[in-house]
Amino acid sequence: MTEILYKNTEMMNRLDEFLLDIQKPARYIGGEVGSVIKDKSKVDVRFAFCFPDTYEIGMSHLGMKILYGLKNAVPNYWCERVFMPLPDMEEQMRRRGIPLYALESLDPIREFDFIGFTIQYELCYTTILEMLDLAGLPVLSEERKELTPLVVAGGPCVCNAEPLCDFIDLFIIGDGEEVNLELMRLMEQCKKENASKREFLERAAQIEGIYVPSLYDVVYNDDGTVKSITAKAPAPKTVIKRIVHDLNKAYFPDNFVVPFCDIVHNRAVVEVLRGCIRGCRFCQAGFIYRPFREKQKSAILNQTRCLCENTGYDEVSLSSLSTSDYKDIEGLLSCLTDYTSKNGINLSLPSLRVDRFSEEVLKEITDVRKSGLTFAPEAGSQRLRDVINKNVTEENVLDSVKIAFEGGYSTIKLYFMLGLPTETEEDIEGIYDLAEAVVEQFYANPNRKKGKAPSVSVSVSTFIPKPFTPFEFEPQASEEEIRSKQKHLMKYANNKKISISRSKYDVSLLEAVLARADRRVGRAVYLAWKKGCKLDGWEEYFDMNKWREAFAECGLEMSFYANRRRDYDEVAPWSHINMLVSREFFINENKKAHEGKTTPNCREQCSNCGVIKNIGGDICRAIR
Amino acid sequence: MPSVNTRVFFSKTDRAKYISHLDLNRVMQGAIKRAKLPVWYTEGYNPHMYVQFMLPLSLGQEGVREAMDFRLLEEVSHSEVTERLNKALPLDIRAVETTVPVFKNTDITTAEYEITADIDNDKFLKFAESEKIIVEKKTKKGMYEIDLKPLISELTVGESITLRLPAGNDFNINPALLLDAYCDASGEEIRRIRIVRTKILCADGSEFR
Repeated sequence: MTEILYKNTEMMNRLDEFLLDIQKPARYIGGEVGSVIKDKSKVDVRFAFCFPDTYEIGMSHLGMKILYGLKNAVPNYWCERVFMPLPDMEEQMRRRGIPLYALESLDPIREFDFIGFTIQYELCYTTILEMLDLAGLPVLSEERKELTPLVVAGGPCVCNAEPLCDFIDLFIIGDGEEVNLELMRLMEQCKKENASKREFLERAAQIEGIYVPSLYDVVYNDDGTVKSITAKAPAPKTVIKRIVHDLNKAYFPDNFVVPFCDIVHNRAVVEVLRGCIRGCRFCQAGFIYRPFREKQKSAILNQTRCLCENTGYDEVSLSSLSTSDYKDIEGLLSCLTDYTSKNGINLSLPSLRVDRFSEEVLKEITDVRKSGLTFAPEAGSQRLRDVINKNVTEENVLDSVKIAFEGGYSTIKLYFMLGLPTETEEDIEGIYDLAEAVVEQFYANPNRKKGKAPSVSVSVSTFIPKPFTPFEFEPQASEEEIRSKQKHLMKYANNKKISISRSKYDVSLLEAVLARADRRVGRAVYLAWKKGCKLDGWEEYFDMNKWREAFAECGLEMSFYANRRRDYDEVAPWSHINMLVSREFFINENKKAHEGKTTPNCREQCSNCGVIKNIGGDICRAIR
Repeated sequence: MPSVNTRVFFSKTDRAKYISHLDLNRVMQGAIKRAKLPVWYTEGYNPHMYVQFMLPLSLGQEGVREAMDFRLLEEVSHSEVTERLNKALPLDIRAVETTVPVFKNTDITTAEYEITADIDNDKFLKFAESEKIIVEKKTKKGMYEIDLKPLISELTVGESITLRLPAGNDFNINPALLLDAYCDASGEEIRRIRIVRTKILCADGSEFR
């Protein structure tokens, strides 16, 4: 019989009183296989890992699984999971005075040493505030005087953490594997020394990759742009992103928490590479996760086998920004499918690029089971694809689609963006023309199944300029512009085999505002939350009117952040953060975009993006 | 359809009471895979593991001797099946015993429950002894009225309530139905309740094996 190391019976009893009235109560009680329970008396540092969205979404996130395993591998550290309860649960918790608790111990997270958020998208900012408040803590950093709980945050959005500086004590910039443990060690020490929060923060600021916002002063120009950002000692002038130098030596979990209920991606996930060689000019991930690093085949196979055996999953997905850029992708797939097909495991590859989509690859993934295929040409014309440096041709797309149709697929999804820099009506018509060409490919296949029709769904989202991309200087298209572009596309659409879905402008606008916001926007985030905003990424809870009121009340214009062209010499609100790719590179890339000139991918030729200059050595060796 | 050759009795208590029957299926299949038990899979386009549950347990109720069947393709000793499953199962689901199936699930007629609730147990006893207990029961065909009184057997009331009710895939009475009827009649409100299915029984009163 397994020994029960810790059980919060009091909280369980309180939950028992109402959990049956809650939708899918299994999300709120923990106890899953793979979840880690420790003897509290032997634990020195406790970390509440918060995902500011629902259980189903957060539990599908690989980063959380890595950091959860990593911290729990240290005997005297205990990391637990926390998700945002849906309104039915939250209402009961508030009514009954139950504070936000962690799923492993069921202990309130305000008793923990760290409360750490992973910030994957801008629309979760108010959810962070809601979770802190539900935990019974002041949402403002300056009102939390004690050393613990210290509120920290990491993830891609913190490359511009400015709108969150009022709420979060420190940010973790870059890969979390090493720096998370360094922070926990510092906490262990500071607790022993009875150090103050201020002392902790000053010491943390000296760890590479840690950004303590309270140690930086921001001054603004009269026109509202940033004039200067100054560091206070002992914080560094610029915070350099932390990276793991060798993915093969980095921690990777050999087990996942296996949920009781279904979640968005209920499967094993193995990371095959980090970073991207491509340099698509709209893509933030393509730049902020540089340098490109690959994991060895043997490590990937090992991790796949370990995870499948320990979790019992019969599906494994390979994770990366562009799996087909793995140097020996065919070798990797053949050694993986050797294992997966023998064991009845379905292998899925969510991030394939169209230009490297070969028959060989398709055969490997269809050996077990067939699912739909998704391609992302992003723009409808070759001219515009050159502007965004998406180096994919119509021929690439149609060749891949042809292979897919011949392989028995009949459902194809195509992703595009509207509102890209320099976009014209012809580019928009190109979206529809490409979709029609895909349909024609289906009928061009002589071996197609008779009586079966292709289904092509076109998803058109609104382009959102992001920091640390060549398009960080670009204005987002206005609502009127996007409306007329969408109208133009729909006017053109008359094929029943093609369905088109569009994104809502308001959501894209808010995302654009928050992505390139400065510190003053924190006030608007606070006011929007005060008005009841939370779970903004969920259509049913999103309320743009509250956000508009919040911005108006603090005298800020959304268009200032979203729809304005920014000069190359303007001080960006994130200019004290160094994500390794240089600003000169982004400026040069922006100029090339407007000239319609492409930049080769890293494998073809190094474009001196700044990574090698910043890190030195042979950091990009995996590219060759 | 294969003939199953292995029956595992298991408990599902504490946090596991919030696992729905549908999810329990997944949880068990995952555990069997992790335990690497050589079980039979259905043949066909999408092969899946063949595991049969004897009697679903309502969400929120606990069970100390639930049963599931599968077919082992290679010989594994019963004690080893139990042991390997327990290493692979969540803490609040425990394999209790592995056996060879004796009865079929259609042989199940009755289940015994132990109920602990913050109600006046004496009042409940009086209620349970009343002449008729008419409740509305929901089925696939709609709502209909039913008298629970003749269906209750072996009722004892002490610190907790023990009773038996009809159980099975064709006709099943959820004890919560009786508790709800009591609350309606007495005006009492239940804040804490624990319902544990303690036994699954056959027509002759013997335990389901």
